Amino acid sequence: MNRPLPFAAAALLLAAFAPSQDVVAVKGGRILTITGPTIDDGVVLIESGRITKIARTADVEIPWTAKVIDATGKVVMPTWVVAHSQAGQRGLNENMQNVPWLSVADAIDPAATYFEDALRNGVGTIHVLPGNQTLLGGTGMVVRPAGRTVEDMAVAANTGIKLSLASSGGGRLQQIRRLRRAIEDVREYLADFDRRKAEFDQEQAAGAIPADKTWTEQIDRTKKAACDLVQKKTKGWLFVPSAAELDEALRLSQQLDLVLVLGANIDEGVMLLTKLAQPVVLDDEIEYYETDEETQKEHKVCTAKLLADAGVPFALSLGLGGPTSYPWWQLGTCVRNGVDRRLAIEALTTVPARLLGLQDQVGSLSEGKLGNLQILTGDPLQATTWVETVVLEGNVVYQRSEDPKLKYLFARDKDMAAKAAADKAKDQAKATDDAADGDPANRPPAKAADGGGDGPAPKRDGDGKQPNDGGAR
Amino acid sequence: MRRLPPRAVLGPALLAALSATCGLARAQDVLLGARRIVVAADSVLDDGRVLIRQGKVAYVGSDIPAEARARARRVDYGDATVVPGFVLAAATLGQERDLAERALPFTPDLRAAEAFDPWHEDLLALPQYGVTSLALAPAPGNVAGGLAALVKTGRDRGTVGADLFVSLSLVPAARDQERPPTSLMGAVELLRSACDAARTGAATGPDAAVLRQAMQGTRSVFVYADNFAELNAALDLARDFGLRLVLVGAADAGKVLPRLAQQQVGVVLDSLGPEARLEQLQLPTRLAEAGVAFCFAGRPAQLRLSAALAVHHGLDRKTALQALTRVPAALLDQAATIGSLRQGCAADFVVFAGDPLDLGSAWVATWVDGELVHGTSPAASPGPQPAAEPAADAGVR
Amino acid sequence: MNLRLPLALLGVLTLGSALAAQQQTTVYTGARILPGGRPAIDNGVLITAGGKILVVGGASTAVPEGAVTVDCAGRTITPGLIDASFRGGAAPNDLNEQGEEVTPQVRVLDSLDPEDRSFARARAAGVTTVHVMPGTRNVIGGLGCVVKTFGSDPAAMVLKDAASLRIVMGAEPSMGNRAIRGGRVDSIYYRRPTTRMGVVWEVRKAFYEAKQALELTLGAAAPPPSPGRDVLARVLRGELTAYTTARSEQDIRTALRIAGEFGYQTVIEEAQDAYLVADQLAAAKVTVLLGAPSAAQVTGPAGADGADPRYATARMLADRGIPFVITTGSNAAALDLVREAMFAVRNGVAPAMALDAITVAPARLLGLDDRIGSLAAGKDADFVVWSHDPLDPAAVAVSVHIDGKPVTAPR
Repeated sequence: MNRPLPFAAAALLLAAFAPSQDVVAVKGGRILTITGPTIDDGVVLIESGRITKIARTADVEIPWTAKVIDATGKVVMPTWVVAHSQAGQRGLNENMQNVPWLSVADAIDPAATYFEDALRNGVGTIHVLPGNQTLLGGTGMVVRPAGRTVEDMAVAANTGIKLSLASSGGGRLQQIRRLRRAIEDVREYLADFDRRKAEFDQEQAAGAIPADKTWTEQIDRTKKAACDLVQKKTKGWLFVPSAAELDEALRLSQQLDLVLVLGANIDEGVMLLTKLAQPVVLDDEIEYYETDEETQKEHKVCTAKLLADAGVPFALSLGLGGPTSYPWWQLGTCVRNGVDRRLAIEALTTVPARLLGLQDQVGSLSEGKLGNLQILTGDPLQATTWVETVVLEGNVVYQRSEDPKLKYLFARDKDMAAKAAADKAKDQAKATDDAADGDPANRPPAKAADGGGDGPAPKRDGDGKQPNDGGAR
Repeated sequence: MRRLPPRAVLGPALLAALSATCGLARAQDVLLGARRIVVAADSVLDDGRVLIRQGKVAYVGSDIPAEARARARRVDYGDATVVPGFVLAAATLGQERDLAERALPFTPDLRAAEAFDPWHEDLLALPQYGVTSLALAPAPGNVAGGLAALVKTGRDRGTVGADLFVSLSLVPAARDQERPPTSLMGAVELLRSACDAARTGAATGPDAAVLRQAMQGTRSVFVYADNFAELNAALDLARDFGLRLVLVGAADAGKVLPRLAQQQVGVVLDSLGPEARLEQLQLPTRLAEAGVAFCFAGRPAQLRLSAALAVHHGLDRKTALQALTRVPAALLDQAATIGSLRQGCAADFVVFAGDPLDLGSAWVATWVDGELVHGTSPAASPGPQPAAEPAADAGVR
Repeated sequence: MNLRLPLALLGVLTLGSALAAQQQTTVYTGARILPGGRPAIDNGVLITAGGKILVVGGASTAVPEGAVTVDCAGRTITPGLIDASFRGGAAPNDLNEQGEEVTPQVRVLDSLDPEDRSFARARAAGVTTVHVMPGTRNVIGGLGCVVKTFGSDPAAMVLKDAASLRIVMGAEPSMGNRAIRGGRVDSIYYRRPTTRMGVVWEVRKAFYEAKQALELTLGAAAPPPSPGRDVLARVLRGELTAYTTARSEQDIRTALRIAGEFGYQTVIEEAQDAYLVADQLAAAKVTVLLGAPSAAQVTGPAGADGADPRYATARMLADRGIPFVITTGSNAAALDLVREAMFAVRNGVAPAMALDAITVAPARLLGLDDRIGSLAAGKDADFVVWSHDPLDPAAVAVSVHIDGKPVTAPR
């Protein structure tokens, strides 16, 4: 952990992951711009990683130098934006509770299967934050799920500090008390710092300190992030495990610039949330059964629907595997429960983009924004729809036809399974060679993402068996 | 080695003191009088008299011969109300460990009578709750637990009588263990195959004999069952094998009411308390409306409370009192001797300052077999009384 | 508990009016009808009376006079779904009789609790009939039953009381078993088998004894009757179908081998590795139950028993003509049955075939296709009115009917 923090000052870093210098034209698809009108048979032009034009094919002259991606008969839309994720890290929860000086930049594992799956699902922007079992838990960063190193993946650093009301040992009240105490400590430190500085100035004015001497003391490095939070210079992302902690969360959000990250069981507290100015982030489990304690009757609850009815804007989260990891499933769940389709789509695009302060970069397709888009085989809310291609800043980072894991899962007999496994093994060998080269530039980022070894095939290989070697199991 | 309860220290002195009056009382008739004597739920004497001879009710009200009336020792409780002693249709008296054979799931021929502990504290406390008889039943820890025994509470210790019903159990306690059966279907299968084997004669021995008595209807079958699935399983068994069924516990009885009425099944309910849910509190009324015979068991201290709560939730008082007296006696096939104060029945009765279903009425005394076993006796005059009493002082209502 | 309201409504209210309501002829018009096993009917008409289907036809179907008409324009009507391997129905403890490892004679019907929450959940998801089998902790678990998901008591729900015999391959029956080393000597955990070969040995031994007894019965000295052996004898005589739970390739092969050895018919349940043994499955002419296709996740092999589920399986079985049925199976994370079919469609199965795999196909497998699983005159009026195409993730069951009666709260 001696790696220096490269992101200390920059709000937006785009240096490491080079936007494609090519002109890219995605042509012929039905374009869902989200914020603007839908265009049938349109073209999206991307130059130097940014969208320069969106229009009907008939109205655009595609430069002859452009790399054309044919999307005829397909759906083109922005990649999904995830406002809060704990995944893709190693050791996401520090044992120590009060660690605001940490950064997820040191925990993110670019090889994690999570990022590979995210791309496969059309996710282009992920806000990674420390885990929920914390108090003041360190700062997060926004990444794209493509790249060999954290620097490659970085979209924005210092995106806010994680706070949590989830008690880790001790009760709910104790956690609340500890969090208040921790914030109070920071305030006291700041007040003390200011007092000493004022004294210095006073003494200097009185001549007790030479005039050429300047105040050199800086805010303690370990306290800097927390001070920013208290001074409302940075956002806090507060995890609220259940409706019971909502009161305290609302109190805290009056003092600090907070985004509430809700646990699953918040159906009883929905009306409290109407007081908030900011959208909230929902848990990935948005549909569950609730039992009435008196009558013992069960009924289904959909938190997204409750929030939509209460007029509370929200961002959706994606689960880690299982149906909730699929954006189409999450959106389908919303619509199934009566949430307006548009509102549901916004909850994975424009709302999280706004929460991250990236509304001018991601979440919708319009001229000037980043060239992040996905090409789908059909409507984004259909189960039969697959992500064909993902483009991030003009770079094609995912193609379904070359996805080794899907090849493996769709292998229909031994021979095909063997071939898929062999391909994958070859791919990995290459990844290892590349890693040895130490030159990330000569490797497309998408392949870097699947070289981690968490996929199904490596797991089987770990047993010393080939996946087709069924009889030996 | 029997552990002597602390009371045993006082015992000898007490016994000595009491035996004098006791012997006297046995020999002499007792003329019981009170403002209100409930002979049975449908027969109440106002300002009535009951003549007790040899521990049994000899005459009631106007049937009492004048000559016997004159000779009897008079016990007059004044303004109090006398009701038949309460009957507990199934009780384990805190002896669960002795009343369930843990290693074997199927022991229909074990006798609870052999586990009877006359010195058990719970037994000694029963008279003050109005309980004068009970069925000491095998605990619900076995699929077939054994035979219950009739126990009468008495002065300082009880006495054990005849074997009663065979006790079966389908509740989790009987199957949720580290020995077979572990599931409801396993328990049902065990009973079904045992009954089949007993019926066809493939099985012999004392356990099969007990099951044959049950299938012939000479012995009733009490089944611990609470939820819907268990109740249905018990009702199916009773239907398939012609058992005379009484359900014990039966928390979900409200869901099988038509079957209970149709199969003429009795129900022994758990006692009610302040913590009971509305559904439980209303269950007695629903059973009564469906014509299902039921009684209360469970915690002896809550018997009166149970009846009072049921009354509060719509049960009529007569049925509530029967649920403590005549119905449990009938479910035990003992209605001829206990559960009422009709002629020929045991003189088991409880004296309350007022209506026993009114919780404000203080308990005064409990008598078993014509003897005061707990509580206070009114100033009794042993000698013959002047025959100034009106001859027909009480009309049978 | 969930049954109480409908029960109160249907049971406690005067029986007469309930009967009248059931006898009432009802016409559902305007919906797209997917009758199951036949082509879809757009703007179709479904007429029910007395708990049975009178007519299924196109828009021009004559409507009897005095019938109640329900407008279903824009909706889709399918047969009530059938879950051929349903893990609910009773408390989990009551689904496994763990006293012995081989308990062919226990009937899961005895454990069934009509008020179990799983029934209400299944109903709300459009499932009108389920096949409940004993749990997977025993080598031979006992007799499964087929019940509708609504009824006042088990007897009122039952379609088939002894529908199947459950046999389990793999690691589950041996899990937790151990040799006696102190402790409670009568513990059920001191038992065989403790290995996979032990599991197979138990099955073989049971069937061997049953076969011996069967052969002896034909001769002079009949052995004493034994309820367990009698059940196995029925399997051997082809009167009862075995359902063998086998997930990995090895277990599927073993299941097929033992069935072949003793000559009985089996269904392979769960069958996650079916794609690896397609030839054998086709040769043995078995039906395959696919438990929770959604569980084959992107994040890695989700299979128990060392199985390696693939997306390709359902489509491959369809292409090879191996009959398959989609179920929720023993997977605790299984989704609603219709969503499981949806995942099969996502992975390449034709929508009509996926729907058949949760309606007609399970009805045929359970021998109940004359009553349920498709919409045709004379069959039980078990059907679901969906908001639109049920294979859309946003679709909901608007109303679910069993024997013509609506069994879910209106939405």
